[in-house]
Amino acid sequence: MRISIVIPLHNEEKYITPLLKDLRKLKNQIIIVDDGSTDKSILAVNKMKSKNTIVLRHEVNLGKGAAMKSGADYAFENGVDAVVFMDSDNQHKTSDLSSFFAALEDKKDDVIFGSRNLNFGVPLVRYLGNKFASVVMKMMFNIYVSDPLCGFRAFTKNGYKKTRWDSSGYGVEIETIARVGKNKIKFTEVPVETIYHDKVKGVTLFDAFGILGEVVKWKLTI
Amino acid sequence: MIIGLQIVAILFSFCMIYFAVLSYKRKELNKAEMCSWLTIWALAIVVIIFPELLRSFATTFLVTRVFDLMVIGGFVLVISMVASVYLRTKRNEKKLEEFVRKEALKKK
Repeated sequence: MRISIVIPLHNEEKYITPLLKDLRKLKNQIIIVDDGSTDKSILAVNKMKSKNTIVLRHEVNLGKGAAMKSGADYAFENGVDAVVFMDSDNQHKTSDLSSFFAALEDKKDDVIFGSRNLNFGVPLVRYLGNKFASVVMKMMFNIYVSDPLCGFRAFTKNGYKKTRWDSSGYGVEIETIARVGKNKIKFTEVPVETIYHDKVKGVTLFDAFGILGEVVKWKLTI
Repeated sequence: MIIGLQIVAILFSFCMIYFAVLSYKRKELNKAEMCSWLTIWALAIVVIIFPELLRSFATTFLVTRVFDLMVIGGFVLVISMVASVYLRTKRNEKKLEEFVRKEALKKK
């Protein structure tokens, strides 16, 4: 099974280097989608990239969802069987990739969600936000994912085809869960470790309210 | 209508006329658009000064006070404009996203 790792990147010059250093050990294709970074992220990528690294560049910042879509589209158009999405801020451990690869090789599920141990090291606001999102998704789409906001996740080609999202921003995580629930796609969860480097980045409370509004829209439109 | 409120509304209308002219000078609006906005705000000033002009409308729509009719009309106008702007922004966002993503894949 050919599996690519897709990394949406936006202004992470500090953390992309150690992540790419770790990923060099792997033989998988790595697709980095620079989503209009204005810092030196792209220089860091060019310095650290290996032979199997592909760099796509959005000239303007479109958002995480759009960057993920560009990476996945490129991968599947080039004959890949599955993709694993990782955040570019080095939150996720490359050692956890083996759990995703094993779950994909099993061929039982089309979508694999990473699940952080939310009882340890997660900021309180994010913990509450996650739990709230889980309950809302269960009520609205009859699907329970223990860590719905985790960006570490994998899709087979079939899974991606059925869940291809519209969200261009942070709503992508919740929208994919809504689509998995609505289309009754087989999914599983694998435990992952997360290190929080930067408490001010990522999903903010404002984003969370926006996403909540979008949930209603997805309920009506998906 | 309370006179103070009328003064505030007239001042607001003059501000909007100023912004319409400014936008025209900055070439953000063309002549026809500027004239349309000037007409709209001029009419608004007339209605603010002589609210009784709307009395027959208020009676037709079974609204007791002219002021209430203006508030309802304002709400309808604002909501429809917000909806229209939202749809246009969404359409433009989609076009931009498609273009940027296509370029990113093409350049590879």
